[in-house]
Amino acid sequence: MTDLLRIDHLSVFYGAAAQAVEDVSFSVPGNAVVALLGANGAGKSSIMKAVAGLIPGRGAITFDGARIDGTTTRARVARGIVYVPEGRAVVGDLTVRENLVLGGYTVPGPARRSRMEMVLDLFPEIAGKANGGAWRLSGGEQQMLAIGRGLMAGPRLLLLDEPSLGLAPLLVRRVFDRLATIRAESGLAILLVEQNLAMTMRLADEIHFLRGGRLIGHKRTDELRDGAARQHAVDTFLGAAAAE
Amino acid sequence: MNAVLDSLAFDLFPLVWSGIVTGCLYALGALGLVMIFKCSRVVNFSHGNVAGFAAFLVYGFTSGLLLAVSWGVAVLLAAVFIVAIAFLTYALISPLIQTSDLTATIATLGVGLIVQGATLLLFGADIVSLDLPVPRFATSVLGLRITGYDLTVLSVAVVTIGALFLVIDFTKLGIAFRAISSNAFAAEVCGLNLARVQVFAWSVAAGLGVIGALLIVPTTFLSATTVAAFMLQAFAAAVIGGFASLPGSLIGGILIGILMNLFTFYVSPEYASTFLLVVILAALNVFPNGILAPVRGSRV
Repeated sequence: MTDLLRIDHLSVFYGAAAQAVEDVSFSVPGNAVVALLGANGAGKSSIMKAVAGLIPGRGAITFDGARIDGTTTRARVARGIVYVPEGRAVVGDLTVRENLVLGGYTVPGPARRSRMEMVLDLFPEIAGKANGGAWRLSGGEQQMLAIGRGLMAGPRLLLLDEPSLGLAPLLVRRVFDRLATIRAESGLAILLVEQNLAMTMRLADEIHFLRGGRLIGHKRTDELRDGAARQHAVDTFLGAAAAE
Repeated sequence: MNAVLDSLAFDLFPLVWSGIVTGCLYALGALGLVMIFKCSRVVNFSHGNVAGFAAFLVYGFTSGLLLAVSWGVAVLLAAVFIVAIAFLTYALISPLIQTSDLTATIATLGVGLIVQGATLLLFGADIVSLDLPVPRFATSVLGLRITGYDLTVLSVAVVTIGALFLVIDFTKLGIAFRAISSNAFAAEVCGLNLARVQVFAWSVAAGLGVIGALLIVPTTFLSATTVAAFMLQAFAAAVIGGFASLPGSLIGGILIGILMNLFTFYVSPEYASTFLLVVILAALNVFPNGILAPVRGSRV
């Protein structure tokens, strides 16, 4: 399978001295779900933001065969890279429907309307509240709206930043099941950032482990099906804190 | 008793009426200030001077000082200049917004002084008069004297503000504007061109200022400072609305128009500016988030 996204020697700096990401290289094959797993401050979100073009990074980012580092977020959205931020970042002052329009802002009218139907079908929880203010939504519904808004742009690669953050386990499962549906139906690739190994394994094909801004390990999900292997990965890469 | 009724009919109602008329103009000014503040987090202190410059341009284009064209053509020409100035101001200010909102706000003072200097340089410090090409007409309704000027102001204000609210509430551009105002990061993530939406807001704001200036000048006269002084009232209107609410600043404008009229008539015209500052202070203390703030509940 050819790589949809390839990242070579990416480093991200905050200010002059602080380095959030150090020489990270990995790739996301087309149609695959790749997860970045690590504790808080491991540099996961920084990688995502650098890929989305929201913060500058050093190194090469190649999407669908073309270098995209140095281009704006807008240009990357147009190419099909859409970032779904952690903490969801839905616009509370807009209605649910308006948030979705925002996600598909550059999409022509008819395509946008049909895509909105698709998103509301996928997330019936928010369809009933489509004309109400987004600030009324619960945390789980806001996460669904954020993902739905990302889908509105017609992405080829979805960057999902901790979709389980702050959600009850039942809601996390629902969101992840829905993501699995989207993936099966649309064949889009997902780069997923998570702290929760068990949830991540439900969706991801491969997992990269991060610590202190560096990649410290890589496993395919099928290698972790075995409980002992999973425990070994947790012990080696994540430390006790992340063991569920 | 009769004296009270007479005073109501002959003083109060006309005062309230003309307060509403000028209040609409304060609202036009305030809407511009608020639009810029909402999407760029900057209080644009050059707003009044730029609008005043526009009024002088119209004067210059119609009087033969610069050109001698009709009023309509002059307004169109002035609008082109003002949108260009708004664009330049935005280009100058937007890099500063990245560093600090306060720096950018202070920079708008500088822009305002430059524009005022240009006004003085081009048109001098003299007082001129600039009228509206509306028919001299006056009628009396229930003892209220209503002039062609009043009706012009009201209809222009209603159409302009109505059109603005329609655009902001129901168009895609309006959604983008509201998104940037309340969550710029979310708008950026969605791939919006933030600069384009902000330039739209700055241009529309400048246009609203020009309309306000052209409509207010006939009631007084035009000098290099009159429109800037008029914008002080617009500023107060924006403060009453909480500086972040478009409907709030509309209400604020009309409230300021009426209050200022009543104060000037019943108390003292000398202390009008003092009264205005007291109103601003009171508004900030009583409803710091604007007169419409408590309407919506807290966010979950």
